Amino acid sequence: MDFDPYPDNRVVGTARVPNGPQRTAPPVPVKIIVAGGFGVGKTTTVGAISEISPLTTEAEMTMEGVGVDDPGQASGKTTTTIAMDFGCVTIDQTLKLYLFGTPGQTRFAFMWDDLVRGALGALVVVDTTRIDDCYPAVDYFERAGLPFVVGVNTFNGQLGYNLDEVRWALAVRDDVPIVQFDARFRGSVRDALLVVLDQALDKAMRMRSS
Amino acid sequence: MTHPADPDDPEHPAAPSVRPFLRNTGPGARYQPAPPSASVPGPPPGEQTTSLRPFVITSGRVDGLDPNIGLETQVSAHPGALSARLSPEQRAIVHLCGEPLSVAEISARLRMHLGVTRILVGDLRAAGHLDVHVLENDFPDPETIMRVIRGLRSIS
Repeated sequence: MDFDPYPDNRVVGTARVPNGPQRTAPPVPVKIIVAGGFGVGKTTTVGAISEISPLTTEAEMTMEGVGVDDPGQASGKTTTTIAMDFGCVTIDQTLKLYLFGTPGQTRFAFMWDDLVRGALGALVVVDTTRIDDCYPAVDYFERAGLPFVVGVNTFNGQLGYNLDEVRWALAVRDDVPIVQFDARFRGSVRDALLVVLDQALDKAMRMRSS
Repeated sequence: MTHPADPDDPEHPAAPSVRPFLRNTGPGARYQPAPPSASVPGPPPGEQTTSLRPFVITSGRVDGLDPNIGLETQVSAHPGALSARLSPEQRAIVHLCGEPLSVAEISARLRMHLGVTRILVGDLRAAGHLDVHVLENDFPDPETIMRVIRGLRSIS
């Protein structure tokens, strides 16, 4: 059987699989993380652009308790089960974009290493009425060196603070883009993700030239 | 899809404050920085874990995860895998993966804990029943990213 890079005419089902060395070539998966506090619109964001209804998977997450009151103390680690929503966009038969919404409702430093490994970047969704909720995510991505963009979700078209105030509050580097978007609308989510991809492209170019 | 409710907490329209760690003497003083490249699979010994019940399926194993098996990693079944002697959970995975499927999708469709799914996928791979398509590069190359950008732009 000749290798067919665009196997759209293949028979679907388990019986189809020929015993050849080259079967259906799986798509190359890439992923973007959608992070932020509880109820800021992560699942809405994923659902707005995903071609499938967001799926949920349960994952064990190791959390390192952050001693807010006692920074110097060695923190106790606990493991907790969280639900994670995700969706995907098929770019073409050989490339598939996954979007993973990560929970961030607690003041913990998440051990997100598994999730972030190989990710293109992250969109940190922010609700300006509860801006603190996104701090753990911002902290994590800064430390991990993952390209990220702060997306201020404009609920009902309202923006509690202007983007400069958000930037001041988050104290992110000047080269971290802060955009406003509406998680309910596909075009708006797409544009926010394109900003993330822009950052990812910059990183990929830097990695290549170094 | 429901729109997230308005902040249910009218008493907390808290004004933005500076991210807390910036007020600390040394950035990172509160956390042990853990760059993703240095990730250690599995919980460290002595760690207190909870909700281990799902791991009954894996005979209690919670570690030994292959870090290359990520959420988005594509998995496909080998021909003949269905005729092998498998546990019901393993059989369900093999059955789903006639077409390449991501680990996260397997977990969601089988309503199986993600950690459990990863361990079972690793077992099935070791037994020669599954192909796990591990990527060579940790970070995608610029050409791949450009393709994603073009693909997204075409979405309206």
